[in-house]
Amino acid sequence: MSNPVSYFFSCLFVLAAHGTMLFSVFSNGKYSSVNDVVILAAAVIGLDLLYFIVMPFFRQKTYAVDFMLVLILNMSIIFQSCFGGVKLDVKHFVTCITALASCRAGYILCCDHRWIESKKKFIWAGIGILMVIILLFTGSRSMWIDLGFMTIQPSEFIKPLLILACATSVSEQQNKHQIWKFNIVYDNLIIFGITAVVLLFQWWCRDLGSIPTFGAIYASGFILRICYPKAKYSKKTLIIAGICVAVLGIVAIIVAPPYVKERIFVNIWDDTSGTGYQQSKALIGIAEGGWFGKGAGNGMLHDVFASESDIVFATICEEWGLLFALMMILMLLIMTAMPLINPPRSYYHGNICAGVCAAFTVQMALNIFGSCNMIPFTGVTLPFISEGGSSMVTSGFMIGMIVASQSPEFNQAVRSTGTTRTMNRG
Amino acid sequence: MIVMKSIRRCQHIITVFLSVFIIGTVILVLRINREAPFYMSHSENYELGMVYDRNGDVLFDGLGKGEYPDNHFIDVGNLIGDDKGQMENTLVAKNIDKLNNYSFSAGIVREGGKAAIYTTLDHSANRAVYNAYMGAKGCAVAYNYKTGEILVCTSLPNIDPTKGYGNIGNMESGTLISKAMYGTVPGSTQKVSTVISAMEIMGKEKLFSKKYSCQGFYINGTDGKIDCHNSYGHGEQNIQQAVENSCNPFFAQLVEDEDMSLEKIKDMYTKLGYAVSDGENDAEMKYIDINGIECERASTTLTDSADFSTQWGCIGQGETLASPVQLMMWQSAVANGTGKMTMPYLIERVTDVYGDETESSETNYSEQLFSSETAETVKQILLTNGENHYAYSIPGYNVAIKSGTAQVKDGAEENALLVGFVNDTANPIAFCVVLENKYSTPAVAENIVTTMLNNLCSN
Repeated sequence: MSNPVSYFFSCLFVLAAHGTMLFSVFSNGKYSSVNDVVILAAAVIGLDLLYFIVMPFFRQKTYAVDFMLVLILNMSIIFQSCFGGVKLDVKHFVTCITALASCRAGYILCCDHRWIESKKKFIWAGIGILMVIILLFTGSRSMWIDLGFMTIQPSEFIKPLLILACATSVSEQQNKHQIWKFNIVYDNLIIFGITAVVLLFQWWCRDLGSIPTFGAIYASGFILRICYPKAKYSKKTLIIAGICVAVLGIVAIIVAPPYVKERIFVNIWDDTSGTGYQQSKALIGIAEGGWFGKGAGNGMLHDVFASESDIVFATICEEWGLLFALMMILMLLIMTAMPLINPPRSYYHGNICAGVCAAFTVQMALNIFGSCNMIPFTGVTLPFISEGGSSMVTSGFMIGMIVASQSPEFNQAVRSTGTTRTMNRG
Repeated sequence: MIVMKSIRRCQHIITVFLSVFIIGTVILVLRINREAPFYMSHSENYELGMVYDRNGDVLFDGLGKGEYPDNHFIDVGNLIGDDKGQMENTLVAKNIDKLNNYSFSAGIVREGGKAAIYTTLDHSANRAVYNAYMGAKGCAVAYNYKTGEILVCTSLPNIDPTKGYGNIGNMESGTLISKAMYGTVPGSTQKVSTVISAMEIMGKEKLFSKKYSCQGFYINGTDGKIDCHNSYGHGEQNIQQAVENSCNPFFAQLVEDEDMSLEKIKDMYTKLGYAVSDGENDAEMKYIDINGIECERASTTLTDSADFSTQWGCIGQGETLASPVQLMMWQSAVANGTGKMTMPYLIERVTDVYGDETESSETNYSEQLFSSETAETVKQILLTNGENHYAYSIPGYNVAIKSGTAQVKDGAEENALLVGFVNDTANPIAFCVVLENKYSTPAVAENIVTTMLNNLCSN
């Protein structure tokens, strides 16, 4: 640990934040027994302390993202445990711990960019296996596999794999092959093909909410592939490509089947007990909560379907207030924005960070803006805040990828071989 | 250097995604802050404020804590409405978000909230007009044709919403709607539209040169018999005389005249706001928005110039319907001398929960419906009619007026209508009065108009 004082005060900050929230639950919350608050507090503070003890065993250059992660996850546990009345949400508590473990896995797998890049074929195979699982087990109108004791959404696991698949290095982009009059990088064609198949599968499953996320991951990878430093960087090409995408989007909306159009052009206030039920309730909940909320457990949205996942932003707004919900969003944003403060040290890691940021921001936008009727309501989860094991595990893994970019093993590898070549050739 | 450049490109991508998301979030917050009162209007938890008339008299008490005389709201119940959901096309129902004692910052204010709607209505005049119906059914509406302020709008039967809806099953038809906003058979008040159309199509000189004979009836081009209310006939008349006599055969012949092509009549009617059907395809009714309240305009069916029901449609029977508000608005276009209608409004201003003004009215006009020359000519025709026929029944006012008798329920009942305006810059009032089943009541349409003007013009 390079700076134990900084580490100590960061721990204090996280504990203070959670302590303040728990005090708010105690003083303003709705609970039948104070024991429920004590159990919740013990779980949250206990998890904080455990993580603070475990983290130093991983020798990282910075723990900033880890602190943000544990801060958000325990906030999420408090939120989810208070909806409709205070009681520790054990299931969510367990999934949050899984997310922390998953983050560690993401970090370990991705900290050496050369190693993970060399395993691309396994990543492609992983995506292929998941698609076969979807094909065989979810059915054409479903995105879930019911195991009896739990349900799994396999398409969630494709997200980090697609980010890794889309990430590239400069050297890979220089490995061009002449096909007719064009210089082609085979990897670019493969990624295009994989993304196309993934998107088709999502359409087939009617998991329309995941399509923009996969699209954003690919778009970020695509731009970084055509704009790598030595490529002929053309703003004009990018603008034309952007216009083409916009035109394609408009055409897609025009030719979309009726059930898609119904989801896009719905006036929720015309049918507040039907198609507009969740969104209208969400907006009413936000309005009732105001800036400072009704108090933990005092909301009414917990009775609405998917209040803990699809419209969780509104549920939090209602009980904790819009101001607090915005702070929560800010935490998530800062976590994905960490590569702007502490730049990645290789192009491959930079690609990964851009992909994770694309996935997170698009998913957050779909959840928050969708539930607030600014865009079509697709029913995706809000990373780390919504209930859902699959989402939690993949989100944790993706944050682990950012942690890896912040503390790569690249430097150590160079040191161990004793080479003096430029370190950041990735 | 190359490495830093390449990583900066990754950072640019991150910046773009974050920026777009942050912009979206800012828009969301601004939108929530602005629209929260509307969301709250759909909530089960709200606290409504007050609705006042132009003199500060209460028309709706959202708090329900005030004490009012018995039936205090009986003349405005189905116009102002309430929040119970039984009446949807009312001022309160359509503006409940403005009336909500709520703001996103303050939340719901149970005590001392100052959200209020200040209307243009004159409650005492409205009440006097209501009483002038003497229990008969009908509706009356009047507004300032210079500004658009609706001063009187009452409809009978009516309801005092504070008494609840316990007897809703026994309520008379039309109790829960303000009839001024809905189409009714206009009777001969329709002839004003036909005169305006003829004037626009032929021009003043040619129209005044036209003379048709009335023998008490007219056999039209398709052998249909158009009866006149004067079975002895009016003899040969020009347009001025025909309007004053409200002569049906004259207007049937005018519609059939080769200088009045049906297509031109249709175009003119459409310009005036009618939904014109050709008999095969239904035309969709158009609406006027009066502070959220949907007010029907007019509709008719025109198939052939010589057709019996087309001619009756232009006379004011047949398939023709027009709302009293629309009839009144056409009068404003004539009264103003511009050919443009003054758009009516009910809300003078709105205050929020803190008492700050959030909305205030402004005068708007329609597009040009007809020329100012036509407006001036029709104005003169109606003023002459008022002077010659209503000087005694509506004394003390220089009124331009047209009466109508509408047969409804297959001729079983007759409604009396009066549309017109006061030609006085100090009292620029246009009105429409509908008295249903006029023979079943001692109330008289002229007396209702007189009461209305006495109350409005004295204020």
